[in-house]
Amino acid sequence: MRERKKSSAVEVSSVKKKKEKKTKDNNEPREQKEKEESQSIMKQQKNTTSRSKKEKQRKATEDYQSLRESELSGDEVHGTDRDVDNADDHHEEDQSDGSEGHRGVEESDSSEDEVAPRNTIGDVPLEWYKDEKHIGYDISGKKITKKERQDKLASFLANVDDPKSWRKIYDEYNDEEVELTKEEIRLVQRLLKGKAPHADFDQYADYVDWFKYDDALHPLSNAPEPKRRFIPSKWESKKVVQYVRAIRKGLIKFDEPKEEEPKFYLLWGDDSSAAEKANHLAYIPAPKPKLPGHEESYNPSLEYIPTREELNSYQLMYEEDRPKFIPRRFTSLRSVPAYENAVKDSFERCMDLYLCPRVRKKRVNIDPETLKPKLPSRKDLKPYPVACYLEYKGHKGAVVSISTEASGQWFASGSTDGTVRIWEVESGRCLRVLEIGEAIQYVAWNPLPELPVLAVSAGQDVLILNTGLGNEEEQRRVKDLLHVETPTAPDDNMASIVSWLQHDKLDGIRLRHFKMVSSVEWHRRGDYLSTLSKKLSHRIPFKLHGLPVSSVFHPTRSIFFVSTKKNIRVYDLLKQRLIKKLETGLKEVSSIAIHPAGDNLIVGSREGKLCWFDMDLSSKPYRVLKCHPKDITNVAFHRSYPLFASCSDDCTAYVFHGMVYSDLNQNPLIVPLEILRGHTSSNGRGVMDCKFHPRQPWLFTAGADSVIRLYCH
Amino acid sequence: MDMNIETPEDQNEENSRRVQVRFKTKLKPPQKVPSNSIAIPSNLTRFGLSSVVNNLLQAVNPEWKSEPFDFLINGELVRMSLEQFLLAKGISAEKVLEIEYIKAVAPQKEEEPSLHDDWVSAVDGSNPGFILTGCYDNLGRVWKAGGVCTHILEGHCGAVSSVNIIKSDGLKYVTVATASKDQTLRLWKFDAEELVNHPKKIRSFKILRGHKASVHSIAAETSGNMVCSGSWDCTISLWRTNDSDAAGNQVSIKKRKGNNQVEEPQLEGEAISTLVGHTQCVSSVVWPQQETIYSASWDHSVRTWDVEMGKDLSDIFCGKALNCIDIGGEGSALIAAGGSDPILRIWDPRKPGTSAPVFQFSSHNSWISACKWHNKSWFHLISASYDGKVMLWDLRTAWPLSVIDSHKDKVLCADWWRGDSVISGGVDSKLCVSSGVSIQ
Repeated sequence: MRERKKSSAVEVSSVKKKKEKKTKDNNEPREQKEKEESQSIMKQQKNTTSRSKKEKQRKATEDYQSLRESELSGDEVHGTDRDVDNADDHHEEDQSDGSEGHRGVEESDSSEDEVAPRNTIGDVPLEWYKDEKHIGYDISGKKITKKERQDKLASFLANVDDPKSWRKIYDEYNDEEVELTKEEIRLVQRLLKGKAPHADFDQYADYVDWFKYDDALHPLSNAPEPKRRFIPSKWESKKVVQYVRAIRKGLIKFDEPKEEEPKFYLLWGDDSSAAEKANHLAYIPAPKPKLPGHEESYNPSLEYIPTREELNSYQLMYEEDRPKFIPRRFTSLRSVPAYENAVKDSFERCMDLYLCPRVRKKRVNIDPETLKPKLPSRKDLKPYPVACYLEYKGHKGAVVSISTEASGQWFASGSTDGTVRIWEVESGRCLRVLEIGEAIQYVAWNPLPELPVLAVSAGQDVLILNTGLGNEEEQRRVKDLLHVETPTAPDDNMASIVSWLQHDKLDGIRLRHFKMVSSVEWHRRGDYLSTLSKKLSHRIPFKLHGLPVSSVFHPTRSIFFVSTKKNIRVYDLLKQRLIKKLETGLKEVSSIAIHPAGDNLIVGSREGKLCWFDMDLSSKPYRVLKCHPKDITNVAFHRSYPLFASCSDDCTAYVFHGMVYSDLNQNPLIVPLEILRGHTSSNGRGVMDCKFHPRQPWLFTAGADSVIRLYCH
Repeated sequence: MDMNIETPEDQNEENSRRVQVRFKTKLKPPQKVPSNSIAIPSNLTRFGLSSVVNNLLQAVNPEWKSEPFDFLINGELVRMSLEQFLLAKGISAEKVLEIEYIKAVAPQKEEEPSLHDDWVSAVDGSNPGFILTGCYDNLGRVWKAGGVCTHILEGHCGAVSSVNIIKSDGLKYVTVATASKDQTLRLWKFDAEELVNHPKKIRSFKILRGHKASVHSIAAETSGNMVCSGSWDCTISLWRTNDSDAAGNQVSIKKRKGNNQVEEPQLEGEAISTLVGHTQCVSSVVWPQQETIYSASWDHSVRTWDVEMGKDLSDIFCGKALNCIDIGGEGSALIAAGGSDPILRIWDPRKPGTSAPVFQFSSHNSWISACKWHNKSWFHLISASYDGKVMLWDLRTAWPLSVIDSHKDKVLCADWWRGDSVISGGVDSKLCVSSGVSIQ
């Protein structure tokens, strides 16, 4: 029963038994016995690799001792061989009996051996009962039922709660959960690492030669050295020949020696590149001190040695600006004195390293060119005004306003000197000078080509003047039109705002307002006009918050735009109501202009910003261009070319390409094209007005320097 | 050839290369040099070559007075040192170089300018007997050589923008036409040979009405029976010049105040046809052949019109507003035009498939207001510009032959007169005559 129980122990110690068995056969011839002994020892040594060395050693000594004893006894008492053997046997038997259980425990490594197996089903493969409820049968033939298993969820929860759960192992053979002790876990970990299971086992202990028979009386073997020990091995040479042949045939190839790249270290180099490779919290190397140069040599070339003047000039410098080191010459290295600042320098260096915070700067490597918006080249957007070829001189004061005739043959200009001049575009000839007598605010040419009349605002008056152009028939019509009977019966509403009078000196009508009139705009058909005065007074009265600054008629529909300082209001003239309010976001609007298609509006402001409104898009500016450093005085659209311009008190005019696409999905394209310079500043004012030629891509600019310039393409 | 050649570059002659040249010319014998080849230093410029030729001529004829010459190599005028020229053109200096010399074309003399009361807007020098000018004071004037004003054409009520002398060979009376900014054209007749002490005021015999805007330019047909005019109303109108057979002639009943001369009946005429096609002001018209009219316009195009059909045959797109046009040059076929930029362009309409100019002269600084071909030479033309300069061009070089800088302000008009003078009028109210331009 016990034997069976300890089957594994028996297994382990079987070698022992065998040996013991052999010791029993003492009656066999001695030599053979010796041989057997040695063989068995050798075998034993081979077999005990898994055992602990010390045990093995111990056992070996024991064996040896017993062997010696037996030998001695054998030698000494030849006659009583049997007896001794028997006694020995007996003694051994006893010993083994007593020690077997003891040793079995001592020798075994597995925990199974320590605790007696509680499994009573016998040595039966477990898979026989894999799907059954019992694990086998006990000695009396009754079923041994399996322990009831917890379901997975419960066991998982239990595992979670139990901090020791990771140590628990289900022992299938014994059908129980075993909790591993710390030592056992350590042992498992060591095994996993491929080490010897016990920490105290020295795998590489020094070899102890137990069989020292140099000085022994009886060596283990007395046989003479065999001959084969002295002649070259036949098999070896055959093998060599075989290899040689294989090499010659090319069957065996040697690995070509790898050319190892020489490893260089940049001794003085920056360590940062090496540090960058690591993607963890990087080590930031300290900045390297400056390397010594030629001037630090004990015998530098002459050009490094400062002259007397230079030395004197150092004295005049501030302490911190002086060079730290002044090169000197010595005849030999021996004569170089000790460096007096060595300690100070290294101290400062240490302070630098210690106190200076080191931060890695992330540098973004972006080509600044790529950040620019993709705009078409200026060459592709020709024609646009580029150079000034013509100047119109004659005014004596700042030219405030200009207006072109519809065909582009003439234009009119009004100046602060109280005159309106009519010019011929192509030659620069001043055709007519109209003396108004008051500083002109605004001039506007009637958009109808057959009605050459000019609206001029000066002071509180708006004058509608005959330009004297056109043939006789046209002149007759104009004269008819411009004739008003002076004592008109005052209309109940209109008379309160303006009074229509015949101008006495000049040929025209005078519209008298109560306040200063700042601007005049004609309707596209040339039969209505709007006037903006300091106090709210329009042809069609609209309610406005704030003073009106500029106004413009829609080029195709009956819509009217009025801008106050902040906002632009859009009115429907037929229904006489507000349609829309555009929020500029500007401090002070100075001028507005409408695209000939009527859906886009540009607004210039006193702070130098230009807003482009796409009225289909929103009531906020589509784009705001900040280009002028000073006030924008006027903005203008070209009637047919996709151009617009702004002029400013900084004496420049900017020309932009402003393409509006008929495709509603495509936003307007705005490209700045050219800065037109040439005007000079006078009294802080620069360019006062700009207008495009109605048919050519030319721009007229009126300057405060009393010159009008024409910029051509 | 052993000959002592005195050149201005004598001092550095030894360190420059020499080239073998042979001078040839189409000039008459007193100006002909022996056709032997000589070696001259290669760093000579036009002036050096000219003095070489003068020296050669002096060696033949001791009374020879030196004269400037211009030099042609392979049909191109030499405008740099000989060495550079050969390098630039890739001509071998090893062979004997044939250099043709011609008389240098440059005005020799600046005559006394004829003063006007206002800007001189138009000038015509097609009659060798007199010069016709138009002025911004609404008058036309006739000038004889020496700055004598013989006739004043009075009647326009707007600035005269263009004048044209209508060919009238063999007749005593000369007919001229003027166009004005008062939207009319007027025809005038006067006796050019008549000797007068002070300017004689004459009135037009025919008023041509019909344009709806300022008339900008006028040109007469070669035979003189018709004139055409280009106007700001984008049209070109054709008019008859003869005073008798025009339909719907009306006797004007307008009386002229101010002078006590005999009132002549004034005829009025209407356009016989109108050429429509330009979209902007027709700034210049020329009528060099019976059947074609060339016109330049501010709509950036040059158009060729068939007079019979009244349609435009071709148009050249230029990209700039054009102010002036003239036909001339080789086979009277090249179109020269200038406009709202400083470049004088010359097109060859015979060249198929391209509308790129064959020559571009860009020495001016401002708009070009006038350009005229020389009526005999294939190569020479003048251009006037708002920068105050009149330039004389030769097609064989890209540099101007000479620059006449006699005006102080914009030059508005320029023409050839008698084949050897350049006349020009401008904003400084002067008519300048530069004479002595010798073109063979």
